[in-house]
Amino acid sequence: MTNFVDYLLGGFSNGAVIALMALAIVLVWRSTRMVNFAQVGQAMFTTYVALTVQQSSGSWVLALVVAMAAGLVLGIVVFFLVIRPVKNSDSTGAIIATFGVLIALQAGAGMIWGGDPQGFLTPVDNSGIEFAGRIWPISLYDILVLVVTAALVIGLTLLFTKTNLGLSMRAAAFNPEVARLSGVRVNRMLITGWAIAGATGAVGGVLIAPVSTISPNSFDILLVFAFTAAVIGGLDSLIGAVTFGIGTGLVISLVSGYSDSGNAPIVALVLLALNLLLKPDGVFGHHGARSV
Amino acid sequence: MKTLRSFPGNRIVWHAIIVGVVWLLLLLLNNNIDPLYSAYLALVAMYATAMFGMTILVGLSGQVSLGNGALMAVGGYVFALTSMNWQTVPFFGWEWNAVWSMVFAGLGGVLIGGIIGGLAARLKGPYLAGLTLGVAVGVPAITNRFPELLGGENGLMLTVPYPAGGYAAMDAGGEIAGEADGDVVVDPGTDEGATGEDQQYAELDLTEFDQGNDSFAEGDLLTEGDLLTEENFDAGSDQFAEDDLLTEEDFGTGTDLGIDETAADPGGDAGGDAAGFDGAGQDESELAGGGLIDAFDSEFIIERWQASMAIAVACIVAFAALNLVRGRQGRVWKAVRDDPVAAAVVGISPSGSKVSAFVVSSLFAALAGAVFAQILSFIGPGAFGLGLSLSLLVGIVLGGRASLLGAIIGALLLVWLPELVDGLSGERGWPEQITNNAPNLLYGLLVVVVVLAAPGGITGTFKSWIDKAKGRGRATLS
Repeated sequence: MTNFVDYLLGGFSNGAVIALMALAIVLVWRSTRMVNFAQVGQAMFTTYVALTVQQSSGSWVLALVVAMAAGLVLGIVVFFLVIRPVKNSDSTGAIIATFGVLIALQAGAGMIWGGDPQGFLTPVDNSGIEFAGRIWPISLYDILVLVVTAALVIGLTLLFTKTNLGLSMRAAAFNPEVARLSGVRVNRMLITGWAIAGATGAVGGVLIAPVSTISPNSFDILLVFAFTAAVIGGLDSLIGAVTFGIGTGLVISLVSGYSDSGNAPIVALVLLALNLLLKPDGVFGHHGARSV
Repeated sequence: MKTLRSFPGNRIVWHAIIVGVVWLLLLLLNNNIDPLYSAYLALVAMYATAMFGMTILVGLSGQVSLGNGALMAVGGYVFALTSMNWQTVPFFGWEWNAVWSMVFAGLGGVLIGGIIGGLAARLKGPYLAGLTLGVAVGVPAITNRFPELLGGENGLMLTVPYPAGGYAAMDAGGEIAGEADGDVVVDPGTDEGATGEDQQYAELDLTEFDQGNDSFAEGDLLTEGDLLTEENFDAGSDQFAEDDLLTEEDFGTGTDLGIDETAADPGGDAGGDAAGFDGAGQDESELAGGGLIDAFDSEFIIERWQASMAIAVACIVAFAALNLVRGRQGRVWKAVRDDPVAAAVVGISPSGSKVSAFVVSSLFAALAGAVFAQILSFIGPGAFGLGLSLSLLVGIVLGGRASLLGAIIGALLLVWLPELVDGLSGERGWPEQITNNAPNLLYGLLVVVVVLAAPGGITGTFKSWIDKAKGRGRATLS
């Protein structure tokens, strides 16, 4: 039983990061109705930027802020250079184009920073907290990850529910034609969606980097987890992405604890396949995943 | 041509003629180029085989799948396991079970592809891409799940089942012969010639051998240590030197391919093992030494053999693909891609059509995987992961999504571009970090540019130019 609790507690911070990546995927889906398979590649790239900043300045906070800014910019750049031109052509092309971006980003990062895995320093202690006579599988750093994630999720929720910008974004996502007629600058809302998604993914990247190390391909598996969480959540739902992001993290932690961490991808695959078979629209979603 | 189109039987005949002629030309090419280029030719044929499947899946059926690298792994593993465990199943009198292993590899691909396809083919684009992405990323996890059977992270070294007789006479011998005199025309050889060359083998120094070996090994996938050790090599040449007596029969009648089919002796296996492919050899003891002579007589050049094998598979697959793509099934796939509802109205099952595209492409991918495993003499998760799947996607997009010719052009690009970059880098002295990543950076950028500016890829663009010149409208996909 203690094992179970330990594994469960150990999964929260990973789950939070998966939730952030899933959020990024959902934000993009809501704005442009496409899955950005380069999302995690963008996060990888901005995490390298953050690593450079951290190595030269020594400040984790500065690294996080720079990563967010870089993520924002990268999201806008990808949108303008790739997504906006491809959006109106075939949907197959759009999917392929995001993979093209992923390949280019990974190769670019390898060119600039090399292929060897690099460590990322944590701002606070990353060993288990001792409390009530035992060591818990949660560190100060895990708590920081959860706090940052919670702050970001709350911020996004407020943005979407309490501000005019959020309302316009929701309108543009829900029905672009009607929104345009009501005076919403739909295109600008799409850009905003991509920019926020880029920044959200960037935060996720910086948060996971100390735990997983960073190399051009090290986030590939995160893409699978995040996609799984986003799809199970319904692709359309921010709450779904967060819930199932953390849920995926917990399941993976349990699987890793009881068997082997190498089995995590298989479990994600099984979860995804079951979901697509049994409830293809996701738990919180509305739109049809199945076409036939 | 108009009358031909209306007779399906004639169309198949025409396809057979086209493929047959191409096959012959490729074999001629293979026998007249440096073995180094034969190694590239083998890779191109292997990629083309896999990408014919991508043409059908991505181009005609409109499903973006990243699972084909994983399905290649299925083919490779089935090939490795069957060829390692069923050494003695005869095939039309040959002690050579590669064909059977290929058949089983294909069946494995169909089975696994059918399962994934059944799950995935009902899904819309991004969901399918995401699910198959999971499959691609999961390959190492699955191989690690069964470490005893699949060799875990290290994969399996396989004793490539060459046709009997012409066994490894050998990677070393053929290569050096080719390198030494630059003349690569295969020649069954005369007594004197063979003896002369034999001495050459015996005197051969290891560094030369290594260089030759490097030329086709896939960089970091294989280390020289894996393939051969100094002891093995010495053992091989020593035994040869001792057995320097040659008889007339030993030469047999070497074919164009440089494969000595008449000298059918099961000892070929053992000879090969002695020559260095001992990674997964299990029946070395069986006939050790017995067949060495034969093995060394025929000028067997491993790259040539690999290329001719890969070309054979590619041509057979190309023939099947041509008939499918240009026949009724091709129109069914396109109809479902362009408008599933309209297709359903005229009695086509959209999901059935998508599953069939998936299964066909899985079959092709598995065959390509079996070929790849033979080229590498190795199968492992590292070589068959997400990177391979992405390469296939890149190749098919650049060559032309809906065209079989595009698949061939894509395969050429996948092999040629890294070599081009390598050459440039050697000239300009780029750091390794740049050289290693430049091809992928180019691929990524090119994919984006092609999707935006020329969705038909290279072949589609040429086709639309030609159509324009003829005054017809524009054509993009297919």
